[in-house]
Parts: sequence; structure tokens; C-alpha cells
Amino acid sequence: MGSNIKIRFKIILYLLVIILIVIILRLYFLQIMSGELYAEEASKSITREKTVAAPRGNIYDRNGKLIVGSVPVAAVAVEPHIVLKNEDVMKALSDCLDMSYKDIKEKLEKIDIPYIDRVILKQDIDTAIIIYLKENSSKFPGVEVVDVYWREYNFDYLASHLLGYTVEIDEDRLKSKKYEEGYEGGDQIGHTGLEETYESLLKGKKGKIIYEVDPLGRPVNILEETDPISGNDLYLTIDIDLQRVVEKILYESILEVRQKKIKNTDEYYKVPGGAVVVLSPKNGQILAMASYPTFNPELFVGGISQANWEYLNNQENYYPQINRAVMSSFPPGSVIKIVPAYAGFAEGIISERSRLNCAGLWLGLGKDFPKSCWSSHGSLDIRGGIKNSCDIYFYQVGYGLFTKYNNMEELLQKYLRIFGFGSLTGIDLPHEVEGLVPDKEWKKDYFKDQAGYSVWFPGDTVNMTIGQGDLLVTPLQTVQAFSILANRGIQYTPYIVKEIGDAEGNLFPGISREEYKDLNLNEYFIEIIEDGLVQVVGPGGTAASVFRDFPLDRIPVAGKTGTAEFYGRQDYAWFASYAPVGNPEYVVVAMLEEAGSGGSNVAPIVEKIYRYLFNIN
Amino acid sequence: MIKRRRKKDFDDFESLGKEKRAVRFDFILFFLALAVSSFGVLMIYSATRETLPGGVTDPQYYLKRQVIWLAAGIVICVAVQFINYRKIQRYWWLIFIIGISFLAAVLLFGYEVHGSKSWIDLKFFTIQPSEFSKVFMVISLAAVMSKWKGEKVYQVTFKKVAISSTVTLIFVILVLLEPDYGTALMYFIAYLGLLFLSGANFLYLLSILGLTAGGFFIALKAGLIKQYQLDRILVFLKPDVSSEGAGYNLYQSKLAIGSGDFLGKGLFLGKQTNLSYVPAHHTDFIFSVIGEELGFLGAVLVLLVLGAIAWRCFYIASNSSDSFGMLLSSGIGFIILSQVVINIGMTIGLMPIIGIPLPFLSSGGSSLISMFLGIGLVENVYIWKEVRKDYEISYQELK
Repeated sequence: MGSNIKIRFKIILYLLVIILIVIILRLYFLQIMSGELYAEEASKSITREKTVAAPRGNIYDRNGKLIVGSVPVAAVAVEPHIVLKNEDVMKALSDCLDMSYKDIKEKLEKIDIPYIDRVILKQDIDTAIIIYLKENSSKFPGVEVVDVYWREYNFDYLASHLLGYTVEIDEDRLKSKKYEEGYEGGDQIGHTGLEETYESLLKGKKGKIIYEVDPLGRPVNILEETDPISGNDLYLTIDIDLQRVVEKILYESILEVRQKKIKNTDEYYKVPGGAVVVLSPKNGQILAMASYPTFNPELFVGGISQANWEYLNNQENYYPQINRAVMSSFPPGSVIKIVPAYAGFAEGIISERSRLNCAGLWLGLGKDFPKSCWSSHGSLDIRGGIKNSCDIYFYQVGYGLFTKYNNMEELLQKYLRIFGFGSLTGIDLPHEVEGLVPDKEWKKDYFKDQAGYSVWFPGDTVNMTIGQGDLLVTPLQTVQAFSILANRGIQYTPYIVKEIGDAEGNLFPGISREEYKDLNLNEYFIEIIEDGLVQVVGPGGTAASVFRDFPLDRIPVAGKTGTAEFYGRQDYAWFASYAPVGNPEYVVVAMLEEAGSGGSNVAPIVEKIYRYLFNIN
Repeated sequence: MIKRRRKKDFDDFESLGKEKRAVRFDFILFFLALAVSSFGVLMIYSATRETLPGGVTDPQYYLKRQVIWLAAGIVICVAVQFINYRKIQRYWWLIFIIGISFLAAVLLFGYEVHGSKSWIDLKFFTIQPSEFSKVFMVISLAAVMSKWKGEKVYQVTFKKVAISSTVTLIFVILVLLEPDYGTALMYFIAYLGLLFLSGANFLYLLSILGLTAGGFFIALKAGLIKQYQLDRILVFLKPDVSSEGAGYNLYQSKLAIGSGDFLGKGLFLGKQTNLSYVPAHHTDFIFSVIGEELGFLGAVLVLLVLGAIAWRCFYIASNSSDSFGMLLSSGIGFIILSQVVINIGMTIGLMPIIGIPLPFLSSGGSSLISMFLGIGLVENVYIWKEVRKDYEISYQELK
């Protein structure tokens, strides 16, 4: 063999060595230098985590009747980042789920993929489809059949404003809640009502399965499994039977009032809505709370249709989702008079025996500002003032409150606030409003562009004593104010959830929401005001005709009518009350929007409720 | 008398060869091949016992089959020793015809797997003719390029280059028709290597390279090779290969090997490969299994053993007594080396993803048996060399 060939063999040998070194260096780079990185990526690429939905907590009434339950339904969940890339899967899904290919694509495309890794495509699917999807899972990468829990309402419309409903969590909330609270796409989240307030307790804790998958996404090996924990159950202060009666009375009364014509006109009362609250003054428990118009929470189960959603949000339907007892405020009219009455006593403007005159017209604010009363009552003491709801009597009280200390103290507002107006009651319902107790500061700010109006006038205070002007209150605040009278100055925070328990029915101790504050009011003043309130339903009182057949001797009722004018609308009608006087068990307040007189149109609602409560026929 | 016998024996050496063949055998080469093949059997078992590729139900299906192929390989390796390789040189045209018939048959009767027609189904088993043909091509080329009868001095003439390159072209075109780019590349490398070691003028080498580049360019221009095919093949050049599409295999293979770290995840414990994330993990991507389960240490060890086998082939070639033996051994060495480089390079992102098996290790009878056939031929060359040494020694002793 020539030396030439020997050299060439040597070259091949060197080449062999170089090749081996290159490969070894490459292996060194891959395995030793980047080994950990690859190991991490590798384990990430084959392990998947999936959650197992937890049943949402049930809601029971005070007697243990199940109002809202939770039922599992099968749903198709997809991972958008996988499915969007796979037209065949989307087509196959469109065939078996009876959804159009376009709908599926659009639904997935609008998802913000880095944040949302799961979308519930369709819920409550047939068993046949479940079986088909499970058997053909290799044809459906990124698609999974999961259980979701649906709300089941045992009493249809009843208490829907209190309960609220659940909706699929939206993207914005998911982005903010995903990491700290464990939500994922397609989850239900409480929206309005108790579902919202108690979301964190009701939702339970999801189970988790960590498993390994093959390249087609099929699970091959479970690494870790945690069972879901059911949400906690709520036991309400609401009596669902009472709730049913209250809602029925409210509804029927509204229909009745709508048949009536406004006096001296051809116009019917509009009555777009109303609210009733029944509360136990002894502890602040809400026994019933009704708002009209109402809605069926079942519409939201499995996602509300566009048409239904539009219906619920159409102005013409008066916004049925609004709980008028806490989420809206209204001018209170004469029901507010209990506050200036107390303030008059407390500030020495009036006394038990002092009398004020009503001649039908009052010129206390000057000749240019004549104030009239709805009747000419003559000389009245405080009891008569309340019984007849005499405006001129209260104008004079209000004027007295205004002039004392030159209105530096804003005494009327001070007492309104003591009785809880102008601030949240703290009830365990979301979206409660504060209402408005107007004062100098508010007016200055509100009319800052209209210099002439930004000053607080004596007329502003005077108007407020009869519940007019800019004063706005919620029915719940009114309930609370009357409950303070009934309790002789003890203010309870109203609440709806009495007990909370786990899925096995064990109640958690020490979670009672019962809370009270002694306002240190003068019981003697309250008793005199109560006398007046009792006379309201008695002979000659503003609600006398309504309570004519009511056994007041057995069940004495303290009440106050209210008819509030509202610019550009019909009058807001109120009746606020408690009974039995002496040992009050119930505070009942009813309010109808644009329904005329509180005495004739709203007091009957309350009277009927008392009949039910005290079992009177 | 001995002198006369020697002369005669250059033409007919059989009698003397036979005497010594039983004892003269390069055990290093044989045992390296046996060791790495047995190790391959174990790795194949690890890769297939859970994933059961091809819908088999017996976890030991691939293990058993590979053991049978290995046994068959050893038998063939030994059986080859009963023929003097020098005799084969004369009948190279017959081997050439068998080789191209194999490849033609696969085009006519073969069936497709992953887009290439590389397999013939023989009812009881399937064969991959291009695996056997690589040995036949090496024999043909070695015969054509070695010293011809009547030639006074061994030299690589233009005629030899022309014939050998034509032979190579025929083989390459036949596998390209399947199409099997990996095998074609391997054939081409083996030919270049042989041409280099044959001592041929560098001009020939350069011309062959130039013509190939030209042919490739024309094929690209003419649309015989589509841009997307090229992109697919060249995906390994992109440093951040995506986990989908063309880069999927490479990505998964790199994940598997990379995650092996220094000592690996342990035998049978490679998740990426055992869960079939790495495709064809018992055949073309068996090195990923080794890298994942046995880590850097295992991968380097396997690589060194394969390198040693190739080296042994070249070693025997450089010590062979004639040009045919030298070229034949070298050819087998080049086939092993090029396959190792292409296959391992492919699994670690140094080479395009073109599926060819890793010699001795990948699951598959055609590959394993043809490799042992190759080893058998190299052993044969070794024995010839040793016999001559013995003869020379005895001759000198006698003198």
C-alpha cells in the first residue's frame, strides 16, 4: 500500500476523532449544560393539570327548606390554544355538539389565550355525545368532558333578588382572580345577591388531578389527585313561605293599584315597581324581602340568552334585576316624620303637651314662600301631628330645628343620620345604596355651577321634615329606622344569612352576624311618637280605613303613611310599621313607585302581611 | 515447493485459508458489535415495553424479534467466513445486479411508511432492501475500484472512477425514488470516502462534489426538489425550533436527550420516549432513548463503541493485503460511520431529520442483519490478512 494511502487513512482517523468530539461536545451542551432546562421543559410538556369542579353550596331558608341546590351536568371543555389550530377538531365538534363551525371558531377566537386555557363550549350534553367523545378522545385533542355544577332553584322566582345568580366568569374578572383564587375559564361565579356576597364560601374548593399524557393528550398516568371540597351551605333568616306570601301580596297589590285612576284625572297609576321588607326587630333578621318587578334566576342557568338578557335590561321593563329594597333610593314622604318628631323633642322645639296650629297655609318662611298642608288641621300636639300627618306641624318643627344655632349644627340631618339614613345599613347584600341626606356641603358641591342655588335655605330643612326635597332613602333604611323605634333605640344591623355550614350539615359556630348598637335615645320621646303612630291606623288616622277590620286591640300596630312627590313623576307611596306594639315582633315596610297615596294604596299590603303573620283571617 | 505453492495460492488461496480461519478472527470487532447490539436489544425493550408501537399487544414483541434478528445476524456473520472474499470480487456484477434488483423490487412491490416506499412485505416479515443494498453497493464499488486483473500496479484510473460513480449514481437514484434521502446521503458519503481512501486523484473527488452540487442546483431549479421540502430538511438549522410542525421530532428528541442530564433518568424510566413523544423511538430515534434514560454517560459510551467499530473496520482495511480487501473494509467502515453521524446528528440537532437507522441499535431486522453481514465481510478481510501473515512467517522460517 502506498504511503499516500497511509496518509489518507490517518486523515480518516483524525476525521473520526473530530466527529466524535463534535458529537460529544453537542451532547455535553444538551445534557450537562442545558440538562436542567430541558428536564424542566420535558416534564412540563408531558404533565397536565386538570381541575375537578366542586359542588356549589346550597342555600336553605330559616326552616331548613332547600331554596337553591347544585346539580352536576356534563359539559364540553376545550383548550382554545390547541383546538383553534385544529380545524378538524372544530369541525368534528360542530357536528356532534350541534353548534356551527363558525360559532365555535368565533367563541374561541375572542378568547385572550395566554390568560384563559379552558373554555366551556357547551353544557348539559347528552349521554350519547359524552360516550362518543370519551371513546374517540384521540380524535379530539384539547377537548374534554367535564362536570360543571348548575344551580337548581326550587322556588322559581321567589327571593331571586336576594339569592342572585351565577354567571360564567368573564375575562376581566378571570384575569384578576385567576391566580389568587383558583378560577378558570368557564367557571360560574356569583353575581348579585347572596351568590355574590358569599361567593368565597359558596364556591368550594376545586379538586385537582395532575397526570401525564401521551402526545395525543390522552392521560396515561395519574401523579396526584385531590378531591374537590363542596362549597359551604347558607342558612337564611328568610322564611320562604312568608317570602312567597309577601311577593304574592306585593304583586297582586301592584296590579290592583294599576287599575286605579289618579283622583280627578283619567290617568291610571303607573306603579312600575315596589318593595316590601319584613324584619325581626329583636335581632335584625330579614324574614322576607320582596322587590317588584322580579325575574327568574333560572334564566341564567347554563347561560342566559341574548333575548332574555335584553329583556331584563330594557328600561320599559323597569329593570327587574334591581332589588328596590336596597339597591335604589326614593323620596320617603311622611314616613320620615318620625325623625323630625324625635329631633323636635330632643332639641326642645316641642314637648308632649305643646301644640302647633295648622290653618292649611303657613307663611313662616315669608309671604313669598307660602307652604300649604293637605288639609286644615287646626291646633295639634305631636300625636295629632303624626296621626294626621300634618305637614304644617312638621314645617314648624323643621323651622325650629333650622333656626336653633342658626342651622350651624344642621340638626335635622344629624338626627336623620342617627336613625341610619344616608349610610349603608351593612346588610349582607351587594350593591346597597346610601340614599342621600342633603346638607349645606352637599348642596354647595352639587350646585357649584349655579351660584343662586348653592346656599342652604330654611325651606330646604322645612321640606325635608316631610320627606321631600332631595332626601332619598331606601326601604331597608326605613325598616331600620322603624326598628330603632320599636327597640327603643337599639339599632340592629339587618342580615340575611343566619348560619353557615359545611356540606355534611355541620354548622360553623360563632359566625352570627347579629350586631347591635345602643343609640342612647330617649325612651319617653319614643313612646310619645309611638302613640302617634298607633293612632295612624286607629280611627281618624291616615291609614284608618285600611285597618278598620284589623284586630288592633289584640295586635296593636304602629304605622306611618307616606306620599312623596317627585318632580315629573307620580307620587311615591309608603307605609312603614311595626307590630305588635309593646312587644314588637315584626317591622314591615312597603313602598310602591308612582302609586299615589301611601294610606290607601300601600297600607293594605302591610295590613295583609300582618294578617298572615298573626294568622288573622 | 513452498515457493511454487505460494505463487499458486495468490490465485487460489482457498486451501490455505480454510485451515486457519477457525482460529483467526478479530474478536475485538466482533465483540464490540455484539455488545452494542445486545445493548440495543435492551434499549428497544425499554422503548417498546409500554408504548407497544404498531398496535402489538405483547410487551416483549420487539425484544423477541430483535433477539431473533441478532441471532440471524451472528449466523450470517459466521457463515460469510466460509467464502473467501477474494472470490466475490470476480462476481461483483452479480452482486451489483442483486443490489439494484432489490431496490427496483421495492419500487415495484414495496409499500409506503411515512411517505417513503422502503419496505417489502414478505408475509412473515418485512425487509428493507436499501439496508442490504448498502452492503452490495460497497462490494460492487470495492471490486470496481480495486486492482483489476492484468493491472500491473494498483491505481485509480478515470475508467474506474467513471464506472464506480455510475454504480453509485444508480444506487442513489433508486433510493431517491422511494424517496429515502437519508440512505441516499449515506451511499454518497460512503462513495466519497471510498474514493478518498482508494488514493484517487483529488481532482476526481472535486469533480464528483462539483457535479453533485450542480445536479442538486438543477433539481432545485427544475422543481424536482420543492422549497418546502428543503425547509423541512433544514429545520435543524434554526436554533429555536418550534414544538410543532417540521420541528416537532427534533424538539421532542432534544427534550428527551437534554432531560437525561449526566446519568439519565434510569433504564425504563424515560418518559419522553416511553410515552411516544419522540416518534419512532425504537427505530430511528433509539439514541434519544439512550440519551434520556442513561444520560450523557450512556450516550457517550454508545458513541465511543460505535466509533471504535468504525475505527476497527478502517484499521483492518489499512492492514489488509490487497486493494479489494482494503476498499471493502473501508466501505463498511464508512457505512457505519456515516449512519452514526447522520442518525445521532439528527437526534441532537446537528443533522437534518432524515430517517435512517442507527447501526446495531435501531429496531429492525434488515438493518441489523446487513450490519452483521458487513462485519462478517470485514472479518473475512482480516482473516485473509492474518493467513497471509502466517504464511509469510512459515515461509521465512522455511527459508
